[in-house]
Formats: sequence, structure tokens, C-alpha cells
Amino acid sequence: MSAREQDVLRRVGEASVLVLVSLAGGPKHGYALIQDVKQFAGVELGPGTLYGALDRLERLGLIESLPADERRHPYRITAPGTAALRAHLDSLERVSAAGRLRLQPGGI
Amino acid sequence: MSAPEAREGRLVDAALRCYPARWRRRHAAEAAELATLLIRDGTPAPSIAWSYLLGAAREWLALRPGRSLSKVAAALLAATCLLGISAALIAESAPAKAAGTTQSPSGPALPKAKPTPPSAGSSSPHQFTPCRPVLPRRVTGALPAAGHRQLSLQGAAHARSC
Repeated sequence: MSAREQDVLRRVGEASVLVLVSLAGGPKHGYALIQDVKQFAGVELGPGTLYGALDRLERLGLIESLPADERRHPYRITAPGTAALRAHLDSLERVSAAGRLRLQPGGI
Repeated sequence: MSAPEAREGRLVDAALRCYPARWRRRHAAEAAELATLLIRDGTPAPSIAWSYLLGAAREWLALRPGRSLSKVAAALLAATCLLGISAALIAESAPAKAAGTTQSPSGPALPKAKPTPPSAGSSSPHQFTPCRPVLPRRVTGALPAAGHRQLSLQGAAHARSC
């Protein structure tokens, strides 16, 4: 399987990737996720976007919901989710390296 | 709870009611609480409600597992195209039917005007001119009505310049 095929996060959208990166740091519920994403990426996720991303990631088996704490459902990243995030970040790194190389004066 | 807070709460609740029941059973209580926390942080309630509305639209479009958004979009596009083609055909066939009714060979015969000889030096606008056939001008886009000869709309009434 090619690196491109392994990267299942290619089509899920930026919000889902941000949620997955946030959950890689430990289980969180909705409000904590929004705050964390805002802090590390400077992106303010709308609540509708957040729940869409959570549902999509859960359907893909990349995250799972934990037993509800009062009314809040914490979510955590699964083993396939960790692998998918790693593959996606590797892919982004390759693109980033190529981009930086080409942006240098006298680059390709 | 103050009146503005109650109004904001109602706005968010209305947006949450747009989600499918399956989603509401699972997330509605948590989503309402999240909205309350975000409003307390200073996020405008209309912006939260709008985000939930968009989320609800996406949720309805991708309701069943295995039905991707692109498939739904393709189905909607195909349906729109079919509707557009049908509407165009109906719109184009209406004038052709009208032409077929007035120009039908089986219809009542119109009385033929008797040509009058020209008066010398007449300046009448209805001057006599010998009959000569005029090719009917075709109207592009007109469809023949079923069971009728295809006749052009313009020029058919003056097929002869008599």
C-alpha cells in the first residue's frame, strides 16, 4: 500500500485533522477540544463543524467516545486513529519539505 | 436567566432541532451545554446557531453510513439537470403546438382574398404585386407538434406575398 493510500485523513477535511491532533494529547470533550484547537492552531472551530468532524472520525473508527461525564461525552483517539494521523503528518511533512525547497532562492 | 440569554438559548435550540432525531438523541444535550459555555466566553449566539444549522444540513446530506456527500451532490445535480431539460422541452413545445393548431391542414379554410388589379399610379400601401412563393423562415428551436406538419411561426402566415 502506498503512502498516499495509507493517508485516510486526506479526504476528511482540516477540522477532522485538527480534532485528531488535539485528541492525540489525551481524551477531551467538545468544549475542551475547541479551546485546545484554538490554542495550538489559532483556528476557532464552530460547534457544528466540531460535531460533524467527531461523527466522521468515529464512523471511520479513528476515535471513540468514552462513557458520558454528566452530559459531556469525552472522546479519545484509537490505535487506527494514531496510525492514520502519523501517516497524514508524514505526508504533510513531505509536501512541506518540497514546498520549502522550492521557495528557496534558486530552488527547483 | 435574563431575557437576552433566554432568547439566545431559544435560537440555539431551534438550530439544534434541525438535526436528525438520531443525532439529537446522541448529542443534543451536550451541544446545548457547549453552546452555553461558548456564549459565556463571548461567542455570538447567532454564529453558534449558524454553525449548528450548517452542521444539521451536512448531517441530513450524509445521513446513512456509506452514502457520501459527493454521491448525494451528484444525485441532486442529475435531478436538477433532468428538471431543467423537461422544463425546456415543455417551454419549446408550447409555441409549436400553437402553430400547429392555426396552420393545420384539417382546420377551417380561411377565405382567400381576391387579388385586385393595380391602379395606375396608385400610391396605396396595399399595392398589387404578382404572387410569388416565399420560403418560410425557420424558427430555430421550435419543435413540431405531434400529428401536425411542421410550419414556421414567422413567415407561415405570409407564405405568399399576395
